[in-house]
Parts: sequence; C-alpha cells; structure tokens
Amino acid sequence: MPSIAELVPEHIRAFEAYTPSRPDPDLMRQYGVDHLHRLNNNENALGPPPNARAVIEAFESRRSAIYPSGDCYTLRTALSERFGKDPERFLVGNGSCEVIASVIKAFCEKGDNIITADKTFAVYEWVAEFSGFEARLIPLNNWAFDPDAMLAAMDSRTKILFVCNPNNPTGTWWDRDVMERFLRGVAGRAIVVIDEAYCEYVDDERFPDGMELMERHKNVVVFRTFSKMYALAGLRVGYVCGQKEVVDYIRRTHIVYSVNSMGQPAAAAALKDDAGHIAATRLMVAEAKALLLPAFDELGLKYVSNAGNFVMVETPVSDSLIYRHLMRRGIMVRTMTGFRFPNWIRVSMVQLPVMQEFLQALREVLGIVAGTRT
Amino acid sequence: MPASTLSQHAPPQLVLELPPETAFLPSAAAAAENAAQVFGLDSGGALRLALAVEEFFAYLCRHAGREEPIRLTLSQGGTFTRADFRFRAGEVSLRALNFAASVDLEAGEDLELGLLVAARTTDRCGLTRSGPDVFHLHAEVDRVYPEAEAITTPQRLSPPLRLEPAPTAGTLQHAALLAAGRYPARLRPHSFTRPARFADMVACGQYQALLALDTADRPAGLLCWRASGRRAVVFSGPYVFDPQLAQDTARLLTEGFLARVARTEVLCAFSERPTADLPQGWFESLGNLTLRGAEGSESVEQPAFFRHLREDAGAAVWAHPDLFPFLRREYDRLAFSRDLLAAEPTPPARLPEHSLLATSLDRLRSLAILRPLLDGRDIEASLKAHVEAIHEQGTSDILLHLDLSEPWQGALFPALSACGFVPRLVLPHAGASDMLVCQHAVHS
Repeated sequence: MPSIAELVPEHIRAFEAYTPSRPDPDLMRQYGVDHLHRLNNNENALGPPPNARAVIEAFESRRSAIYPSGDCYTLRTALSERFGKDPERFLVGNGSCEVIASVIKAFCEKGDNIITADKTFAVYEWVAEFSGFEARLIPLNNWAFDPDAMLAAMDSRTKILFVCNPNNPTGTWWDRDVMERFLRGVAGRAIVVIDEAYCEYVDDERFPDGMELMERHKNVVVFRTFSKMYALAGLRVGYVCGQKEVVDYIRRTHIVYSVNSMGQPAAAAALKDDAGHIAATRLMVAEAKALLLPAFDELGLKYVSNAGNFVMVETPVSDSLIYRHLMRRGIMVRTMTGFRFPNWIRVSMVQLPVMQEFLQALREVLGIVAGTRT
Repeated sequence: MPASTLSQHAPPQLVLELPPETAFLPSAAAAAENAAQVFGLDSGGALRLALAVEEFFAYLCRHAGREEPIRLTLSQGGTFTRADFRFRAGEVSLRALNFAASVDLEAGEDLELGLLVAARTTDRCGLTRSGPDVFHLHAEVDRVYPEAEAITTPQRLSPPLRLEPAPTAGTLQHAALLAAGRYPARLRPHSFTRPARFADMVACGQYQALLALDTADRPAGLLCWRASGRRAVVFSGPYVFDPQLAQDTARLLTEGFLARVARTEVLCAFSERPTADLPQGWFESLGNLTLRGAEGSESVEQPAFFRHLREDAGAAVWAHPDLFPFLRREYDRLAFSRDLLAAEPTPPARLPEHSLLATSLDRLRSLAILRPLLDGRDIEASLKAHVEAIHEQGTSDILLHLDLSEPWQGALFPALSACGFVPRLVLPHAGASDMLVCQHAVHS
C-alpha cells in the first residue's frame, strides 16, 4: 500500500504551507503583554468607511442561515456603476488571493510559466508553484519591478505576468509611461495582471489606472481589494476586472458562493461616498510617516518609504530577533526574511499614539541589541 | 578538473528482506559488498561496509523481534554507500541496541562487540527510531576521492561581484581549494581538500552551494549548507577569497543564502562551521561548544549561530527544574517566549528496566552525539557506559541532545548531570520543539 506521501504530487510535497500568526490572546499570553498593536498586515487602523460600518452593524444574525449571492450580483452591480463597466467584467473572490488562484488556473497548463518579481507579494509565486507551474522571479531594480528584465524572461510558455503596482513591500510603482511601454512590449502575448491592492494610497496623476489601461490593452487584468484602504480585511473581499472574454474564462475556474453575506453588502456600501474615508486614511499615513521617517534618520536606520500604508526599515540585527523583542513590548511588525529582504521589517502606518509607542519600543530594542550584535 | 558524474535523480538502491537467522549472514554480507562496488566504493570500502553489515546482521539475529523479516536497504548516497537495517524490536531486547551494550552493565554478562566493530569499520553509523518499536541501524562508508593541494595564492579580484546560484562542478572544485587555502581544517568541510567529492556532494544534493564570482567569473567566495532534519539547515562559511572584498563578499553570500532558504519549509538556519567573515548582525549567538576534535589537535571554542526564518509564536518546553535557571537565562537573552513546564523524573517503579540511547558517531570529526530514545531505570549507568565506550574507541567529543518537547527527556537532566554532562546551548525549533545540547565535560 503506498504511503500518504506517495499519493501526493512532487510539487506539493516540496511546497511549504503558509503559517499564519496565532490569535492575539494566545500571542499576548505567550509574550506576557496586556495589549498588542498589529502593525504587520497593512490593515487600515481607522476601520471601515461609515457606510460599510453601518451595514455591518445592521447585519441580522438570521441571514447567516442563508447562502450569499453566489456571484456577488449586487456588489458587481455597484462596481459596474462605480467604474462604468459591464457587471460581467467583474469577478469577486474571497480576497484577492482567491482570484490569483482563479487566474492561474484559467490560463496555465503543464509546462507554462508565470513571471513576477523576486521581492513582492508572495502569493503569485506560491500559487504558481503549488499548482505545478514555474514562477520566474525577476530581481527588483532600485526597489522596483524591472520591466525590461521581465520582458526578456518571457518565452512562448509565459502565460501571465504579475505586476504589483504599487509594490508590496517597497511601495514603488510604475508610472503611465513605464506601464505603457511594458504593455507594448508584451504585445498581447500573455495576460498582464496589475495588482492594485494599494492604489487608493497613491495621490499622483502619473499613476496609471488599470481600469483605463484594460480598454486599450485587452490582455490586462486588474486586481483590487477591500482589505486595505476599505478596512474590510476580516470579511475577505477582492475582485478582478478585465475584458469580458478574459473574465469569462477566469469565471470558469472560480468557486461560486465564496464571498460571505456580510462582506458583499459591506463592500458595496464602502464604495459609496468613500472620498472622506480615503482622505482621512491618507492623512493618517502621512502623519505617521512624518513622525517616523525623521526618527529613522536620527537612529541611522535605512528605510524604504513610497506609496502605501507601510514602511520598510532595515534592522542592524536579524528581523526575527527585533520581532521577538518588539512583541515583548506589545508591538507586532512583519519580518521581511520571507519576502527575501533579510534584516528588514515592514511597519504599517497607523494613528500617531501607536506610532509613538512603536518608536519608543524600537528605541529600547535597538539599545538592547546594540550590546549583543553578532 | 573532472566534471561531476552524479545527478540528484533516483539514487539506486537494493532492498533485501532477510529472516533473522544467521544462515543468511553470507547473503547479507555478499549483497552489501556487491552493491557497494556497484555504487562506486573501491574494494577496501566495499569490504568495510560488508564487515559492518555482517556484524549488524549477526547482532540483530540475536536481538531483533522474530515476527517479521529484517529489511536491509543498500543505497548510494552520492559520495557514500549506506546500509540501513529496519527491524522490529520487542522491549526485552531493546537494551542490546545500545551502543554500549557490550560494556558490562550487569556482572557476568557475555561481551558483545557487534556495534563497536561496526563503528570502527565505517565512516558513520547510528541508531534511529521510526515507530514505537521500529528501529533503524545504519552504517555509511565514503567513496575514496583524490586529495588535492589547497590554493594559497592570494586572489586579487575585480568587483562588482555577483552570485552564481548553479555553479559548475569545475568552479565548485576551484572554490573549495581556494577556501582550503585560506581557512583552517576545522572551519571547512573535509571534502574541500578532496574537491571532486565536494562537487559530487553538491550534485547529489547532500550540500547546496552558493558562489560569488567577480567580473571575470573568478570565484570570489563560497557558502554551503545542508539539511539537518526537515525544518533546519546548517551552513559552513562564508568563505571569501580576496580579503579586500571580504565584507562585500560575505554579505552577498549571506543575503543570497537567506533568500534561497527563506520561502522553503526551513524554519531555522544554524551554523556548522562559521567563519570570522560571517557578517555582523545577521545571526544570533547561541553560545559556544568546546571541541577537542581529532587526537592531537587543540581544543577550540566553536561558536554556534542561529537565525530564525519566521516570526516566533512562542512555545512550551519541558525541563527538570534544575535546568530552569539555565533555560531562563538563555531564553531571556535570546528573547524567546517559552512556557517552562516542570518535568520530574518518572518514579523508578513505573520505568522499564532498561533505557535506550541512540548514538551517532562521526569518525572524521571525532564526535559522538547521543539521543535518548527510551527512559529506563538504568539510564545513568547506561550513560556512563556509553561515555566510557565512546572514549575508549577514540572519540573525543560527546554531545547529548534532549528534545524539550518530551517531558521524560526534560526530566533526564539530573541523570545527565551525574554523568558529567553540562548544558551548553538551546537550539530553538531544532527538534519537535527546542533542543537542549549538553556536552560531556571531561574534556571541555
């Protein structure tokens, strides 16, 4: 009789499952703290916009007994109105991670490859690899995706190019010119996914709008999420938008009923009158950066701060050691070794009192590790 | 330099199922000798493996359970041939599997030399457990490779440097000899002076290697690592060949190494032979081991470095209260959050008579590592006997690993202490939980 392992394909055996962090009460008990500021997941600390908050608070428990809309009909209609596109051009998933998997399943078959950067959101690479497809990882150039190297890495089996714009975790982004040149270089030979999870944080007219690009480049697919700016991470709602034909193919691989009954109306409500929420969030991020960046300079710490509600900071010792020391002070940051940035941490930008507490804790920790550097 | 002839795919193996009867002893020995020659050992090496197999098999015929056959797997490990006996053992016969079972634990018992003889004729051997009463005895004999002269000529290289993730066998051999010319033997794998062996070890996946090259594609540095269990890697290096570029080379290699292992199943990286070129701030010091090494060499303080590749979620460990001060100090220094759970020794009346210790011997490094497999009333006597037997057969350094996820192992500390073992290091996540490394103190 074969062992269980022998029943598993080689590319799955070789793959390492992602281990999420433990629940806050467990971590707080383990680290002996009475509070925990989560600065590790780039969540929006302001919480959802008022309209979405109202929907969540009004949610009736009896609705939990009923299946949600299987294809997020109302939410797709709201997206259609917002962006002036046919609702059939939207496909909603349980967070954008689900739609990443759907796109790869729709376009890749054995022997195909995808192209992305080596130091970006890991899910493109992970989904490709555990699906048995090659992920070609192109080194960042000056913290940014390298369009020429990505084009050079293409071959006849390249099916998808993933561009994280702005990039997580460096916050760099391609402007309109670079994006246009890149799309002309691809020339429709493969699908180009533009992941705009953090696009609402960019306030710059040079930033290219994927929703507009896809009208001229039929192979462009845009990912957006309600987890970041709209602060609905706990409800898991993300979506893909593209040409109708492209989305139709993706829909064939996509699981229906995967988005819950509270998430769908909350996301739709979040789109209405969101200008104030976006402005307040951008202000919070700007204030946090105005506090932290000069402090990092003063501490002699190198940092990368571009678009997005996060900053990456280089640490003088192992990022996992800094993480443990900060956890003992009730601060949770993201270690960057797993992003292939060893000795860097990524910190979410939130309200000033928490940023001040983080800064105080970081100063203490740097003082401790200065005496123990190896 | 010759290119490697090995590949990472489908290592050949020969499997025999043998009734535990001495009548099959010639069959086992002949199969071992034949397979070893087919797998690349010379006649001397094949004979050494055959002798070990003969001794193991004779030994198991006396002590293994008789309800099922003994499975002998002979396999090519790239640069060595391995014989692995899988067998089932009833509790009654377990004691005989102790490396030191030949030492007179009970007056009047016949001496048995089986495991000792096997240990002397092989390059590595050991006992592991894969089920409640399923054990593996294994022995390995290395292929012979020609020795080469280390390159001591100073290198003047041209930056900028770049990483070569898939170096050729020839470049690897060149780099190994450059490292052998710049670093003492204790800081580099033995295979560096037998460079074809090193290249073969990389080709078959025993080692992974990262090379730094200069603008003219000349080797500028080397860092290599190997798996240690499923969740950890141990690394040697970084080795840098142009002192003027030491800092840049070491950083490039270290960063490249971490990038390679960061998105894999590996949780931790530990140093095996760290050099002074290891860049500051990239690893945490776990402490030192005092190693005497092969006969005639001077004791050296071997630092142990560690890097966690994930965010630590905390854990619980079991330990005897006598260990708490050491553990608290270490965990506090390393900022690891651990619940220390008190593990008291099991009352003797509830223990079986005999304990069982797994022994791994590395003749080249003159190093023995003990791991407790089963607790028993004779644990202290057995430990003393093991120490004596290991020293008698010429091995200088003895370490003992305790997996602190097991309460009974954590509770063994008073017995270890009485036998001269002292706690030296905590290796986070190196076992099912953290691992405590104790060292026999006679020679430290």
